[in-house]
Amino acid sequence: MIEFINVSKVYGETVALLDVNCYIDASELVFLVGPSGAGKSTFTRLIYREEVPTRGAVVVDGVNVARMRRREVPFLRRKIGVVFQDFKLLPDKTVFENVAFAMLVTGASRREINRRVPEVLEMVGLADKHKAYPHQLSGGEQQRAAVARAIVNEPRILLADEPTGNLDPDTAWGIMELLLEINRLGTTMVIATHAQQIVDALGRRVIALRDGQIVRDQLQGVYHAR
Amino acid sequence: MRANAWGYVFGEALRSLWRNGFMSLASVTTVAICLAVLAIILLVAVNLQYMASFVESQVEVVAFVDGSVDRAATRDLEARIEALPGVREAVFVSREAALERLKEQFGEHRDLLAGLEDPEANPLRDSFEVRLAGAQYAAAVAGELERMDGIEEVMHRQDVVDRLLAITQAVRTGGLVLVALLAAATVFIISNTIRLTVYARRHQVGIMKLVGATDGFIRWPFFLEGLMLGVLGAAVAGAAAWMGYDLVVETLTAAIPFIPILEQQPLLGNLMQLLLVLGAVIGAMGSTVSVRRFLRV
Repeated sequence: MIEFINVSKVYGETVALLDVNCYIDASELVFLVGPSGAGKSTFTRLIYREEVPTRGAVVVDGVNVARMRRREVPFLRRKIGVVFQDFKLLPDKTVFENVAFAMLVTGASRREINRRVPEVLEMVGLADKHKAYPHQLSGGEQQRAAVARAIVNEPRILLADEPTGNLDPDTAWGIMELLLEINRLGTTMVIATHAQQIVDALGRRVIALRDGQIVRDQLQGVYHAR
Repeated sequence: MRANAWGYVFGEALRSLWRNGFMSLASVTTVAICLAVLAIILLVAVNLQYMASFVESQVEVVAFVDGSVDRAATRDLEARIEALPGVREAVFVSREAALERLKEQFGEHRDLLAGLEDPEANPLRDSFEVRLAGAQYAAAVAGELERMDGIEEVMHRQDVVDRLLAITQAVRTGGLVLVALLAAATVFIISNTIRLTVYARRHQVGIMKLVGATDGFIRWPFFLEGLMLGVLGAAVAGAAAWMGYDLVVETLTAAIPFIPILEQQPLLGNLMQLLLVLGAVIGAMGSTVSVRRFLRV
């Protein structure tokens, strides 16, 4: 589903990724770990083509997105949901509108939106908050809304860049369980995280980055190498 | 795009128009001022030209017959005038015929002339309308006529025509330069308004890109906002020009009933269309500038 082939990304003098090779299968869940500045964000941004690699190929769903034309990018993005540490909700739109927004821009009809959005809000546990504005929600609820927006178009891939970074441990667990549930339904998932306890407890595949290079890739991994 | 998406695009443009309140008002006002100036210039220019052609279509030289000359002698006078070099034809217009003509020009105000049919009361004079073989003979013929016995006064209108045409030309040239400058300023102000919108909505644009909105979809609301600013300004300018022209025509024809001035229609209808198109073009240009420069999609 996702393949990095000899990928390097250089910003001016700074090397963000250096000669990265890895393969992530469909429906797989991968934790991306490593200290700040190790290249985790760059890794995810290359997948949804927010960045273009300096060298190498990033193949997503059979297409090298590094060589994709600009006007094809929106259609790649519709196959990929993204969740951020800071939620990135629109403050002047309700939860429903924030989620509907992602469908609207892809040209969905009002009827499709009215059918699909409540379904997704139900799934993330926000059915009763659909009329609330982001500032009326707790951090965990805001992240649930962001997850709902990320999955509303039924993407093949979900990327999460430190999705629990702003949340207390209990809330973080709630979000992580939601992401696991989505993964169980078949969505390929890459989660960049510092949540050591969660990574250690789940024992899923871990790719560890340091100074832009993959230093460890374990199938039943933990946060720190033992 | 689907109706649903268009609904969103229009809604966003309108919301933004409202949210930018003051800047929107400033933009609409500048568009309106720019186009109102253009409208005034155009209306003045077409009317000047109309006046010039109206005057030109009249006889080129008019010779008024001395009141002491009797009707029989005018035959002789006519022959002498037609014998002058450069004269193509001399048409005798009796004072009665002149009165009839004046009544026609007065149109619905003709009752003002009531009672003048009495030969004693008719203030008009017999005259000859002298058509020339060419405009270049006007001065010479006018000079000859003035020296002729039985001719009281000579009017020759070529100078009037020339002056009107010169003024028309000046109004047009000066006006177009002024309008071009105003239009440039207007495009600039609209592009600034749209730039503010782009800035205010940068997060939203980022999220739109993230969830797979096409560049075109992202650009539409901004483009439409500029278009709306331009068209609104044009509508204001058009309405002002319409009312202003009505007022001017009413006032002028009340004061000078036979003044040659163009009818409101189809002139104002055409002007309105022109203004709306120009407003749309100015608005679209302004927003395109900003969308290109500031909306990095």
